[in-house]
Amino acid sequence: MAQTFRLKLITERAAGGDPIVRERDVAGPEATIGRAATNDLVLADLAVDPSHAKMRFSGPGRVTIESVSGLPFMADGKSTSRVDLDVSRHPVAGFGEYRLAFEPGEEGGAVVTVTRESHDHPPSASVFSLQAPVFGRRNMAWILGAGIFLLCLLVPLTLSGIIGPAKIRPDQQWSSGALTKAHSFLESDCKSCHVKNFQAVRDDACLTCHKSSADPTPQFERARSLGSPFQPQLAPEHAAHDKLEKATPLPAGLGAVSAVFQRALGHPTDRCASCHIEHTKSPTPEGADAKAPPLSDKPKLVVVQDCQSCHSQLKMRLTKTELIDTPDWNKHPGFRPLVMTSAAGAKPTFQRVALNTAPQERNGLTFPHRLHLDPLGGVARQAIELGKAGGYGAPLECASCHRRDASGKDFVPIEMEKDCGGCHSLAYTREGGQLKNLPHGELQKVVDTLAGRSLTASPGSDRQRPGTIRPSVFSAGGASAYRATFSRGGACYDCHTVNWAGDTVQMAPVKLAMKYLPRGGFDHSVPEHGGPGTSKAGGFECADCHKAKTSDRASDVLIPDLKTCATCHGQPATKIAAADDADCTTCHSFHKPGQATPKPGHPPLETLRWTKVAAR
Amino acid sequence: MTQVGGHTERVRQRTHEGFLRHKGFRWAQIATGLCVVATGVYFFVASRLAEPPSGGSWLGYLLGTASAGLIVWLACLGIRKRVITQGHYSLKAWVSAHVYLGLSLTVLATLHTGFQFGWNVHTLAYALMMLVIASGALGVWAYATLPQRLHGNRGETTRKQMLDALASLDAQMHEAAQPLDRNGAAIVRLSIEQTDLGGGFWKRLTGSYGDCANRRALQQLRALPSPGSAVQAEALTKIEGLMTQKADALALARRQMGITALLEAWLFVHIPATFALLAALIAHIVSVFAYW
Repeated sequence: MAQTFRLKLITERAAGGDPIVRERDVAGPEATIGRAATNDLVLADLAVDPSHAKMRFSGPGRVTIESVSGLPFMADGKSTSRVDLDVSRHPVAGFGEYRLAFEPGEEGGAVVTVTRESHDHPPSASVFSLQAPVFGRRNMAWILGAGIFLLCLLVPLTLSGIIGPAKIRPDQQWSSGALTKAHSFLESDCKSCHVKNFQAVRDDACLTCHKSSADPTPQFERARSLGSPFQPQLAPEHAAHDKLEKATPLPAGLGAVSAVFQRALGHPTDRCASCHIEHTKSPTPEGADAKAPPLSDKPKLVVVQDCQSCHSQLKMRLTKTELIDTPDWNKHPGFRPLVMTSAAGAKPTFQRVALNTAPQERNGLTFPHRLHLDPLGGVARQAIELGKAGGYGAPLECASCHRRDASGKDFVPIEMEKDCGGCHSLAYTREGGQLKNLPHGELQKVVDTLAGRSLTASPGSDRQRPGTIRPSVFSAGGASAYRATFSRGGACYDCHTVNWAGDTVQMAPVKLAMKYLPRGGFDHSVPEHGGPGTSKAGGFECADCHKAKTSDRASDVLIPDLKTCATCHGQPATKIAAADDADCTTCHSFHKPGQATPKPGHPPLETLRWTKVAAR
Repeated sequence: MTQVGGHTERVRQRTHEGFLRHKGFRWAQIATGLCVVATGVYFFVASRLAEPPSGGSWLGYLLGTASAGLIVWLACLGIRKRVITQGHYSLKAWVSAHVYLGLSLTVLATLHTGFQFGWNVHTLAYALMMLVIASGALGVWAYATLPQRLHGNRGETTRKQMLDALASLDAQMHEAAQPLDRNGAAIVRLSIEQTDLGGGFWKRLTGSYGDCANRRALQQLRALPSPGSAVQAEALTKIEGLMTQKADALALARRQMGITALLEAWLFVHIPATFALLAALIAHIVSVFAYW
């Protein structure tokens, strides 16, 4: 019997189960393959040509397949148009989805198992839903979540302290807002203030630049090394920190809850950073003076505790305090000027004495203000006679002796030669046509100058104009110039308190107070306070506050009492044109209680630039 | 729609109460109340605060804690919906609260910021939160309107029926194409093998299937020269009819997919953005206290 092709057609059932197997032999040594029904092997696949190929036996156990349409087919995994197969090696040929597996048959023939491998999987209903294998919800969720967690938290948290001054600062993304101009040089150096993680900014960090001390060089050096273009403002403590801590009560209302929480959580409200807020917008208040320095230059100032909340019932918290409670303006204690009780000795002694007890200051000077300010008295007469050329020409007024300093807020110290010397001559002799004056200020120099001399003046009035030598009752008696000068009628005796220890003169030193109220500021330059400029109705002249015209003793303390201040401060504008607020800060600042609180924004930041500071 | 369909629709409308109007808008009322109270307190307190309003004031901490707690709770819907529970707290109530309390966050968290924004991790968390809420709002709109459109589009045909119809048309075309020559067969194969039912997101959303293989096959089929045999001519006529039917079936299924894409698209933003938000929220909270 000749070689034949035995076809074994296997069809899978659509519903599953055993496949259908049909077998038949092809008559003759050749078999046609194609889609058309006329073929020996019909392959119902559109990828197969109607007449696609022929297969025939080309020897014992060998089959040749050859394309007749020109369209190739697959043989042993390769595309080809003609192939010679060794049936014993169980070769496989492919036409479209059909797979032809050859194996040796009877009498050198071949069995061809034909199967169809459908790659089509009918789509399931899930095809209606959105599919995103890569950018799926779950993938994206984990990638984004983990990415942000890593980049925004773990990297800054672990590396911020390690990287140091690098260009990339991973913790800068944590900044909740820009720093003010004053601190903007620290913008990328979070750790300079946020020293320790999970610990609120401590005062130590601020004080490395802002600590007030006698020699602030280290602070300035620190600021420079951090890159500050500005000289840091030094901030003295309001009081010793432990006292402040004790003295500060809890804020009222909800603030107390907040403060308790913050203290418990390590975010105390008595830190520098509690009041001086950074990383926040600092809007310029409405109606702000356009010429005023911009407030946004410096950290926003926030009042955590007002003055009266601490200065009320203070003794309950600070038992040993000598401070008097000032719960409000109306209960402000009366002035207690700091009065010198003794000028003797190396260190004068001071005491605060209530103004309403008419304190007397031992300043060592004899000076009746009344006498000098009497417009009809001898002093006035002499001042008129001295004329304008002599710097007078009219009865004396306050400004004849008390001169404003450069700021206009205060007065320069009285100088004898300049302020009194117009009338009170220090001349003691004439040598070669030149008058010689006693040196003023140091007792021993006066004594040395006068040693062994007699007074040379002719008898006459004790009151001599400058340029003349003062006569003395002692001159006729031939007493020594030394004794005469320090005795009644002598040049020194008028103004100085003189004692004698045997033949040795003793003179109480003169020390005049510059400031009677060291814990409060007063600005003499305000027009309403008698300063230059136009004052509102109700403003004051010197004499309204200082009762000098009725004072006969230099020891009188001539500052006004609090009532005088209260004529304007704390009054409604409807009542008095010069009305002003009675705010604690008007006269006291927190860091420097002896000064008035500077106006917002002062000093302007730009004035603190190193170059300008150095040029001063 | 048939008479029967119309009838069932009316019945459903009478008895069904969606998650939006659950219990007479209970959660809408609660959320509105929350917003009104928070806004009132904010504008009363903010002007009295010593510092400029920010997340760092006591009010800021209060609003921040409330907002963070809400965010975590809202995110828990993902867990809750997978758990089948018994009792009063139905999933519908939960979803209703999720929607309205989620919307209230736009007010609470904005007040928490004190209107201070910047290029930082804090504003990142805020922006992500707003993105989550915006996508969620889109989802609410989608769930409220699109099922109606889906229903209107498919009529009484189910999704499976649509797929079966397409498979059946393909099978018929395959059968009918057997007498065709190679060119004809290739055209039919183009329609059967290359037709992409859905496609990517934008394709589904915009419904732009200009390059559809079935459409091209139909064009090519019509351009074929007259076949030699009557059998082939008959087959071609039959296949043209089948392809036209397939084009209609495809259009129906693709409209269904387009609406479904709209219905589901928001979740592709909502879920990843929620995870991003949770991470940013943790970073926000930890960083604030790290650099207190």
